[in-house]
Amino acid sequence: MGEVIVITSGKGGVGKTTTTANIGTGLAALGHKVVLVDTDIGLRNLDVVLGLENRIVYDIVDVTHGNCRMKQALIKDKRFEGLHLLPAAQTKDKTAVTPDQMRELCDNLKKEFDYVIIDCPAGIEQGFKNAIAGAERAVVVTTPEVSAVRDADRIIGLLEAAELREPKLIINRLRPLMVKRGDMMSIDDIIDILAVDLLGVVPEDELIVVTTNKGEPAVLDGNCRAGQAYRNMARRIAGEDVPLMDLEANDGFVSKLKKLIGFK
Amino acid sequence: MLDFLLRVFGKDSGSSRNVAKERLRLVLVHDRADVSPQLLDDLKEDLIKVISNYMEIDEKALEVNLDTSDKTVALVANIPVLRMKRTGKRAEKIG
Amino acid sequence: MKKDKGSKGKKLFVKKADDRLSEDSPAKSKGTPDEGVPSMAEKKKPEKSAAPDKPDKLPEKPDHLPEKPARKNTVESDPWQQAFADDNTILIKRTVRSGQCIQFDGNVVVMGDVNPGSEIIAAGNVVVMGALRGVVHAGATGREDATVSAFKLQPTQLRIANHITRAPDGDYVAPEHPEIARIKDGVVVIETYQMGQDRQSKIG
Ligand SMILES: Nc1ncnc2c1ncn2[C@@H]1O[C@H](COP(=O)(O)OP(=O)(O)OP(=O)(O)O)[C@@H](O)[C@H]1O
Ligand SMILES: [Mg+2]
Repeated sequence: MGEVIVITSGKGGVGKTTTTANIGTGLAALGHKVVLVDTDIGLRNLDVVLGLENRIVYDIVDVTHGNCRMKQALIKDKRFEGLHLLPAAQTKDKTAVTPDQMRELCDNLKKEFDYVIIDCPAGIEQGFKNAIAGAERAVVVTTPEVSAVRDADRIIGLLEAAELREPKLIINRLRPLMVKRGDMMSIDDIIDILAVDLLGVVPEDELIVVTTNKGEPAVLDGNCRAGQAYRNMARRIAGEDVPLMDLEANDGFVSKLKKLIGFK
Repeated sequence: MLDFLLRVFGKDSGSSRNVAKERLRLVLVHDRADVSPQLLDDLKEDLIKVISNYMEIDEKALEVNLDTSDKTVALVANIPVLRMKRTGKRAEKIG
Repeated sequence: MKKDKGSKGKKLFVKKADDRLSEDSPAKSKGTPDEGVPSMAEKKKPEKSAAPDKPDKLPEKPDHLPEKPARKNTVESDPWQQAFADDNTILIKRTVRSGQCIQFDGNVVVMGDVNPGSEIIAAGNVVVMGALRGVVHAGATGREDATVSAFKLQPTQLRIANHITRAPDGDYVAPEHPEIARIKDGVVVIETYQMGQDRQSKIG
């Protein structure tokens, strides 16, 4: 029986889809059977980030409405046997799927896959409720900005209210030099305020844009620092304890965070 | 040495990092308690109205705050009393 | 006009171009079933009973348009000129954007672009006087003689009747001239669009 993990954030554009694509690909690269579910109905993006947009015939709405069998809608990744995508519908809206349908969908998917990773839409309305309905664990993505952290806090509260206890945090787009200058909140600052465990930290990295442009997740690029961060997170989710990477050569500020981080 | 100086500067409360942190803290207190600053102001006014029936208070020094410690939130009011009124509202009613 | 220039058109799109769309892949069938378009690929297969029955026409047909007379499924002579002459045609004078879906039980003509993330589903032909970059389905109720033509034919996915094709992975050269896609010998071929090319090839 697999595990259903929702990637959420509250605030839009902080990197949920990028995270879903990269952690999913990272887990598949480790040899796991993974399915990525795009629940951002009406604003689908995960297909483009994975470079699979031209293969979509059926989508999540077709599956939940019984218009096709699950197998028909799952899109096989170009690179990894074990990686599949269940795309969102683009010409519908969030109300096309209900939380009950999502629960059933996740229950079915986790019978066949080791990891069911759900890309949640921004916001706290129906799309969010759908995305978390079938999830067993949650990962909250934030950036080191007041607005994103505040929204992350709200989301953590809602997750706890929905019995999704102990969500893990990903801090995305951290810029170590800015932190050092005192112009950006540090990992410690954010953890301190949100009081949740860290799953990983992704540095700001231009290669994210480049790899997204090409439809090839950064996690596959051996020279990409953000990709390294995602590889580490995939290993943590798979059960390994992996130390936080050096976000910057000869830094001082993350040293106390060099302890091992796991997911369980 | 440079590193040390930088770190000292980093701790400077005027840096945007610390401003951000402090603002966040404040905002989250209200978010978590589901209370807006506006609501707190209204509460303050109502409190003054009610308490003034019984005692004279220093309205300017009155402080009403939500205190969060870990996972509990407490309403903490600091109300300096200037003078007790001899007959409260209750007494008037009875009489 | 050289009559065979068109017929040796580049095969940018090949039917069942890759494993994803091949017989044994999960998404072997096609159509957008939630729109009520019958799934032709399913019909051909023995397992067809597994697929839910679909109505044989497009739903949500704009009701201000008159009912179309029953369509004959035979092509008389020149498919481009005549076969759809008696069909309704809808004219869309704007850009069709992501998330928008145009369904019509007849021909669709768009005077504007069709952006990625949008869908055009027509029982007949689709003509785009602009760039076609979204998903397009011509002959959605099963007409194999339906065509898709555009000034810039770069669809995310192109479907005619029960055939699905998609843009090849990786870079490919953007077309510089109007092109037309149609089924030839069971394969979707894309050719430079030429006026009267069908008549020419028939005479010759
Ligand atoms: N570590 C990073 N470094 C640089 N750019 C990044 C990084 N992470 C994400 N981005 C960029 O930020 C943008 C938003 O990312 P993404 O689409 O993953 O966010 P999202 O949370 O899924 O957004 P939405 O709420 O709209 O679904 C993208 O353009 C992406 O390339
Ligand atoms: Mg997204």
